[in-house]
Parts: sequence; C-alpha cells; structure tokens
Amino acid sequence: MNRAVFAVVATIVVAGLAVLPLLGAPYWTTFVFSILIAYVLAQSWDWVAGEMGYINLGHYVFYGIGAYAFAIALTSALMPSVPLAMVIAVLVVAIVAAVLALPLFRLRGDYFAFGTLALLPLAEVLTNNNTWLTGGADGIVLPVAHVLQAAFWLALILAVASFAVTLVINRAPFGFALRSIRNDEEVAEVIGLPLLPTKIKALVLSSLFAGMAGAIQAWQMSYIDAVTVFGLNVALVPIAMALLGGSGLRWGPFIGVVLLAGIQQWLLVNITMLQATVYGAIILLIGRYMPGGILRAGILRGLPWLAPLTREHGAFVADTAIDQVASSSAVMSAEMPLDRIVPRGTETPLLVCRDVAKAFGGNRALAGVSFNVAQGEIVGLVGQNGSGKTTLFNCISKVHSLNGGEIRFSGRDLSGLRRDQMAGLGVGRTYQIPRPFGDLTVAENVALSLMFGPQREIPARALTEARSFLAYAELDHRRDVRADTLSLQEKKLLEFARALATRPKLLLVDEIASGLTPVEVRRFVDRIRAVRDDYGITVIWVEHIASALNAAADRIIVLEQGQLIADGPPAVVFRDQRVLASYLGAAEVVE
Amino acid sequence: MSIDVVLQVLVGGILVGGLYALVAFGLSLIYGVVRILNFAHGTILAVTGVVASLIFARWQLSPVLIFILLVPSVFLLGAVFYRGLLHPLERRSPLEATIGTVLVTVGALLILSDVTAVLAGPTQRNIMLRSPVIEVGNIVISVTQLAILAAIVVMTLVIHAVLKATWFGIAVRAVTQEPIAAELCGARSLQVKTLTFGVGSATVAIAAVLYVLTFPVDPYMGFGLTVKAFTIIVVGGIGNLPGALIVGVLLGVAEGLVGLFWGPEWSPAISVILLLLILVAFPAGIRWRRG
Repeated sequence: MNRAVFAVVATIVVAGLAVLPLLGAPYWTTFVFSILIAYVLAQSWDWVAGEMGYINLGHYVFYGIGAYAFAIALTSALMPSVPLAMVIAVLVVAIVAAVLALPLFRLRGDYFAFGTLALLPLAEVLTNNNTWLTGGADGIVLPVAHVLQAAFWLALILAVASFAVTLVINRAPFGFALRSIRNDEEVAEVIGLPLLPTKIKALVLSSLFAGMAGAIQAWQMSYIDAVTVFGLNVALVPIAMALLGGSGLRWGPFIGVVLLAGIQQWLLVNITMLQATVYGAIILLIGRYMPGGILRAGILRGLPWLAPLTREHGAFVADTAIDQVASSSAVMSAEMPLDRIVPRGTETPLLVCRDVAKAFGGNRALAGVSFNVAQGEIVGLVGQNGSGKTTLFNCISKVHSLNGGEIRFSGRDLSGLRRDQMAGLGVGRTYQIPRPFGDLTVAENVALSLMFGPQREIPARALTEARSFLAYAELDHRRDVRADTLSLQEKKLLEFARALATRPKLLLVDEIASGLTPVEVRRFVDRIRAVRDDYGITVIWVEHIASALNAAADRIIVLEQGQLIADGPPAVVFRDQRVLASYLGAAEVVE
Repeated sequence: MSIDVVLQVLVGGILVGGLYALVAFGLSLIYGVVRILNFAHGTILAVTGVVASLIFARWQLSPVLIFILLVPSVFLLGAVFYRGLLHPLERRSPLEATIGTVLVTVGALLILSDVTAVLAGPTQRNIMLRSPVIEVGNIVISVTQLAILAAIVVMTLVIHAVLKATWFGIAVRAVTQEPIAAELCGARSLQVKTLTFGVGSATVAIAAVLYVLTFPVDPYMGFGLTVKAFTIIVVGGIGNLPGALIVGVLLGVAEGLVGLFWGPEWSPAISVILLLLILVAFPAGIRWRRG
C-alpha cells in the first residue's frame, strides 16, 4: 500500500472513530471500545509472541493488575485523581512485569507458555484472599459513572499508539533484537545481544500497554472483580484473536480482533448456553487448522487485493526506504569497515587457557588444557571427533562455563562474564553446524552483529555496512534472500561474515571448510590469512583438513580426549608420532 | 492445636499427594515422548471424576467396575485426541507447532470443563462409600483411604515395571532419549506416541477414580491440577518416577499444612509460587543425578 494513501485512510478511520461517542449510540460506542481494548491487548501480546517468539499466555495478568492498581488507587482516600491513578497503575504493572520476567524467562517454548498461564490462577487466588487490599470476591466498585466518552478516547489513543509502536519496533534495532531472539537466542547472545535485558524490556513494554488497557477498562466499567480480569476464559481471548489473524504479521492482531469480536458479539446475542464451549472450539480449530493465522492461509494468499494485509515481515522490510539504500545495486567493495588491530606488546598473550576443565556429567570433555595464543597468530586446533575442540570454543565464548582452571582474554579473567560481553570484548565465532537466523535475510543476519556490537549501529547503516562483509565472504549477491534458503556452503560463508561483523580481535572458526572442494578450501586458507594479515585478527581454526592448516596456521594444537597432547609449528606437530597415531591414525610418518 | 490434627492432615496430604503424583506421571510420560505439554491434562481428572460420580449416583456400580469402564475409555479418547488433533501439527514449523498444540489443548480444556459443567452442574461431587474406619491413636483412617493408598503404590510399581520391562516401556524410553534413532530401530514413532498419549491419559483416569472416592471434584478444578502436575515434574525431573512420587507427596502435605495453619483458600497458591521459586533457583529444572 502506498504510504500516503495509507496515512490518509488511517487518519479518516481514526477521526471517524473519534466522533463515534458523540453520535449518541452507546451500544456501538461500547462495542468499538471493547474492540479497541482487545486490539491493544492482542497487539501488545504479539510484540512478545510474534516478534520475540515467547508465547505469554499470562498476558491478561498485567491487564488485571493494571485494572486493580487503578481501582485501588482511585478508591483510596489519599489520591482520588484519575490521571494519578493511571500513572500508579502503569508503575505497578511495570514493576511486577520486571520482577516476574526473571523466573519466567528461565523457561522456553511451551514451558514458558505454561509458566505464564499458571500466573492467572495465582493472581485470582491472591486477589480473592487479600481482602484488605482488593475487597476479595466482592470486587471493587469505583466512584465514577458516565465516563464512556473519555474512556473511549483514551482507548482509541492507546490503540493507535499500539499500532505506532508496532511500526517503530519493526524498524528499530530493538525489533531486530526481538526477531533474532525468536530465531536463535544463543547465537543472538554470542554476537553481542544482552539477552535478559532485552527480554525484560519486551515484557515490560508489552505489559505496560496491557496494564493501561486494564486501567481504562476498569474506569469504564466502574466495577472489577477477580474473575473478570483473571478468569481463564476471558484471559485467552485476546491471544486467540492475535493468533486467529496471524501472529507476527503487521495486520494479524487487528484482523483477528475484528473477526473474533464480531463472532463473539453474535454468540452473546444468539447463544445462551455453552458459550465457553463454542469459544474453546474456535480456539481449538484455529490451533488445529491454521496456527499461522487466517492471513497466512493459502486461500487468502492468492487474493491480490488482500496482498498488503498478508505480507510477511521479510516482504515489509524489502520495501522500506532504509533497505532500498542497502539493496541498491552499486557494487560494494570487498574492503570490510574494520580498523586494523594494532599489535600490542608481546609480553601478555591475547588468550591464556590454564588448566581448563569441563565435564558433562561423568564425561570429561576437557581436562587440564593449557596453552597461550599471541596476538596476530593463526592457531590450528585439531583432534579426533569428540576430543573437545568445539567444547573448548564453547568455553572461550562462554556458551559453557568452566568446571576448573581459567581463561584470560586480553589479560582479563573471563569467569563471571556473559556471552554478549564476550562479543563486546572481541571474541567472535562461527558454528560448525551453521546457525543462521532463518527467517531474516542474509543482509539482516550480518547487520545484527553490527547493531549489537560496541558501536550500536542504526539499522540503515548496519544494513549498508553488512554488504561489505558479505562481499568479503563473496555472498553479497544473496543478500536479500531468507537465510534458511541458503545452501550449506553459503550458510558457512554467512557464519564467517556474521562473525567478522562482530569486529572480533579473536576469531574462533569451527570447521568452516569441511566438505568443500580443494579449490574452495584453498580460498578459505587465503581468507583466513587475509583476515589476519589485513586486519590483524587473531584466529583459532578448527579443521580436519591437515593441508589447509599446514598452509594457514603458524601453530598447531592437538587435543586428544580432552587433553592437550601437542603444541608447536605445523612442521613439527604433523610429524609427531603421538599426534599421527592419535589423529591421523597412521603408524608412521609418510614422507 | 493438637498433634493429632496435624497427623490427620498429614495422612490426607500423603493421599492427595500420591494422586497428584499419578497425574504427574501421565504428564511426564506424554511430555517425554510426544514433547507436548497437554494443558487439558488435569481436566481429564475433573471430567472423569465427575462422570464416575454420576455413574455411581445413577446405577450404584462398584468403584472397581467404574474403574474398569472408564480407564480404557479415557485411554481410547486420549489416543484419538492425539491422532486426530495433535499429531497432524507435527508437519508444521516448530513455532506453529508449538502455537498449534497450545491452542488445541487449551481449547480442549475450555470445552471439556464447560460441557461437563453444563451437563452435570458446576457443583462439587464425589462418591460416598460406607467403609469401616481404623483408629490409630486419635487418627482416623478409613479402609477406603487405605485401599487408595495401596492402589497408588501398586499403580506406581506397575508403571515402573511397564517402563522397565515391556516393549512399550523400552520404546517409550528410547523415543524420549533419541526419537530419530528409536524410529530407525523400529519403534514407529506415531504408534509409540499415540500409545503414550493414551496411557498418559489413562493414568489420569486411574487417579480420577481414586480421587473421587475421597475428595470432591468439580468441572473447573482441572487446570489447577495441571499446574500441580507440572510443578511436580519440574521439581522431580521429567521421567523420574520416584522423584515425582516424593515431590507429589510433599506438595500434598504442604498444601494440607498451609490449609491447616493459614486457611484452605491459600492452598492452591502453593504450587505456583513453588514453581516460580524453583525456576529462579534452578534455571533448567532440577537434574537429579542418577546413582
């Protein structure tokens, strides 16, 4: 849809809605009011679910807390002022959301869904039992009446704000952070995203809108009790609406709210019994036949006039202004925007591993591994499968914490640091089995590293700069496709580009050349050397291709069953009898 | 307050905790094999319990007969539910599959409790059996309660034996640990999963018939029970039967004691608060070392 046309249509619709309460149609005003509140709930829920991938079934709890905080503040003798009570409600919701985020985000997937759903009965019990505060099962009657007009306008403002926030999030670094979490939160953290703070921000933001909706609703109804704000039947309604429309789609929650609210209104009028059953059946059928939502259904996809409503996130990104800059067909130089790392004094090695030990249960993956890596070295790390190479990488990038020993980077002890701080310090890594952010574009994958990095680049700049890294990895021609459509080899190149874009001092490369043709392997040898020679990046390279390491590495370290058995120049190590026996499986040196 | 009252509450707590544990076994079994968290799990107990009490009120059947009637029926319903509504979602993307299973099971929860409430009324009901009581000191235990206790122990042992020794049990454990490898070795995952869903549901039906003999059930109690079962498997460890039994009994006793000292209206809050506390202290759930 053309932007100007959209702006005009949206203004007319909002203005039309704004005069609705003045027309003297209380039935319609109340109905649209309930739709606006439901939209705020569904849309704010979807920031956490559709964008971040966390299904928060307890979203309604924050709505209820907002409603109760507002009602309690308004009825208290101290401050019978509506604006003040609203502010208090918002503050209370924010605090509760921030505190609850800590335990809740220990959970993933359906466990998270379950943990959040369990908040509803808890809130109901607490509300009913703390009679001194909440009036118990009697609920709270508010000393207001005839506020439908004002409440309607507030709800309209809040609903417009929800949509605006959705648009802003879609383009802001925060939105990219949420989408990276949805795809693979471990990788997001490894490339520098502070995970927990981001999740807490998302939950607090989403809860704030729910809380405000609750406060406005309480004001309008002038009565609340625990069942109306924490009941399981009502609580899942906005979520069902968002899912019915299409979670994660810009128009999904809106379409879902309008559709389901219409159905609900019809049911209220025409069905007196088994309402919860009909409702449950709708939820069940959405789940069974279109968990992606109506807007993702194949039938609608085919209708051209519905196209603006049914597009996925990727389609939106491609036609926004910032990306036209990034996607312009100008040939990018393969020169990466990286400062050359100036060698420091040679006294302290860049990386010091001392007696590093890591065990998984009874399986000792690493035991007493000690070695140093000097600034500017290329170190080859070899060993049989299962000898602990990847575990060592995981220990250095803090994916695992140590059971013993210590690792120092730039003279700094790594214990107690988080993964995103490692990225900030300058440790970048690739994954042996590539882990791209699947539903983001190739360019976005690399741009994320730049956005999360120490320079906190804005998306437009990051997307432009990402092209240089992609060009360096010879992947620029694929920049606009979804990353999960790449071939395995392309994904490995993407891993490489994404790791370089974190602007590392130390690059951990995990089997990036395995399965490649000799010519391609040779190219990687050149690239790894160039990364060191041109940019001063120190490299540890795990690979099974001895000839490649022989050509690229200054030094070879050999692991065997979690222990270091050799450390020296390739010419020496690859002739060592023990290394040959352990790793190459040969009984004698082949000249 | 005399010690006898506390002991009496302990007996009740152990009994109800054992039943929680049975419900948790089913949840744990299903989650381990099918990787689905069935939100309607506890609702099966509520519905089966209500149906059992209705049958008893109408025809005065013996609880054993009701048991024989209901448990296989629930097994079948569970298996059909999985095959018809949940299994087809496996073909979808992981996020859609998660959303789909959550919606389907939540929808089932709403439907089951609402239909039951409409048909049987939203009131609490149970099966009142006249049975002799045994007095130990000042503590009163009915023979029914003793029989329930014995049944819980027997069922736990049976489940344990089934998992240890039968083809189904070995397949269940194999699929829990390595679904793809298990399939390659000939444990057809669809078959194993369908059976598991049936068995997991039947476990709840067993608990339901025992539950309704001493405690009242109502159509809306289901979700609270699911929360308890979930807490139990998070604390006790998935697939850890003895752990679930211990935690279940502890939870039952804790609820009884809180109800006694603080008021019964606080009992339902314990499992959720415990769950949140455990999650803060042990991010990945509790992993019990295997001895």
